[in-house]
Amino acid sequence: MTARRHRLRRATTAELIKLRGLPAALAAMLATVVAGALFAAADPAGPAQAVPFLQIGPIVLGVLVVAAEYSGRQIATTLIAMPRRLVLLAGKAGAYLIAATATSVITIGGWLVPGRPAGRWTVIGAAAYLVLMGLLALGLTVLLRSLVLPLAGLLTLVLVVSPLLAGYTEHARWLPDQAGRALSQPHGDFTTGAAILLAWTASVAAAGTVAFLSRDA
Amino acid sequence: MLTFPRTLVAELRKTATLPGSLAALAVASVGPLGISLLNSMGVRNALRSGQPDLVAYTSAADAVFSAAPLGTVGAVVLGVIAVSSEYTANTPDAGGGRQITATLTATPSRLAVVAAKATVVALLVLATAAVTIPVCLGAANLVLGGLGTPADVGDTVARGVGAAVYWTLTALMVLAITVLTRNGIGPLIAGIVNSSLVSVSVLLSHVTPLAYYLPDLAGMRLFADDSIATFDGALDPIPGGLVMATWALGLLAISSVVFTRRDA
Repeated sequence: MTARRHRLRRATTAELIKLRGLPAALAAMLATVVAGALFAAADPAGPAQAVPFLQIGPIVLGVLVVAAEYSGRQIATTLIAMPRRLVLLAGKAGAYLIAATATSVITIGGWLVPGRPAGRWTVIGAAAYLVLMGLLALGLTVLLRSLVLPLAGLLTLVLVVSPLLAGYTEHARWLPDQAGRALSQPHGDFTTGAAILLAWTASVAAAGTVAFLSRDA
Repeated sequence: MLTFPRTLVAELRKTATLPGSLAALAVASVGPLGISLLNSMGVRNALRSGQPDLVAYTSAADAVFSAAPLGTVGAVVLGVIAVSSEYTANTPDAGGGRQITATLTATPSRLAVVAAKATVVALLVLATAAVTIPVCLGAANLVLGGLGTPADVGDTVARGVGAAVYWTLTALMVLAITVLTRNGIGPLIAGIVNSSLVSVSVLLSHVTPLAYYLPDLAGMRLFADDSIATFDGALDPIPGGLVMATWALGLLAISSVVFTRRDA
């Protein structure tokens, strides 16, 4: 048990070091924090209006954590250093969660400044939403092993397709971003939204894990 | 100059055979068609049940042109990967080189490379639009039957041409930016965000009317009318299209200068 925990910690540390070496990932985190501060200054009522824009940062981060391994063949080196694939994936997810949680909390923190009317739960929900959307992106990238495909696909889904579908059918509320949006809205259905978004993230992560464990790198 | 047609054919081959190009063109054609069908079915159902106030518009043309942002996304992906594919490092097993070195060895005239790439991307986007938009209009009219509000034919043709021009100019802008950045991530994100309905430019337009001169908002009226997006200060189609074209040509000029003067 201790050995396993030790391995996991080392995998997470290694992934954090690799993450620090990605300029695009650092830029995405910084841009998200700056954008969050600007939005909080412009619209102190709550993060609901800002979240559609802010989610771009965690999505980019989640995609990059995995996609950087597949531009060139860094993944081969990584798997030689860390042959246990499940531990490697857990390490990647851990490194992402640390980076994304820190980014999201600082980003959304602007609405928690005393005297602001934003409700505590909408702020916590917005931060959780950002982290989960990026985790979804990470799982999708493990599945697709590419940069452009998951990045363009997911951004198109949340920024273009989802608003278009929402105008057409109420069933669009089952999409991950529409469901998760309830987390950051004052009168949203918190539990249902969280459950749907978690179900999306969990199933994509499970599919990615199975694919990563069973196929050639 | 005699070698330019050959450069053009070479770039056409390279761009058209990228797996991502096929995906981009599929997004730009199947995407608008799917959304057009959904939109027109929504309009048909609302009209049949006697509740036209449930939908924002009742004409086939509006059902099609509100799906145009998906075509822009396809154009953005094509414009980005036409250039970023040149800079992606090959696998170390094959030397880890970048295609741009081979390209510039074969075509030392850098201006010809940029011009050929821009021409090829513009042609591919225009060809996709020429097929997609009429098919979407036909499909939407078929779904609506005689129910929809009839739209002026000349007006619809103008908006169709406008959408094709909007897609092409957007593709050229992100192509020019990718030549500058030599990396696809930034232009891809910026392009998709600003072709979407939650565009940063729309946000800025709440702050200053100057935002209507940003490329994506300037060209908005080329295909969108009030039922799709209400922007009081938006430029009219022709001036807006000219502003957008100026952005595209300006960015292409800057990137051509940078590309000819800098190490690959």
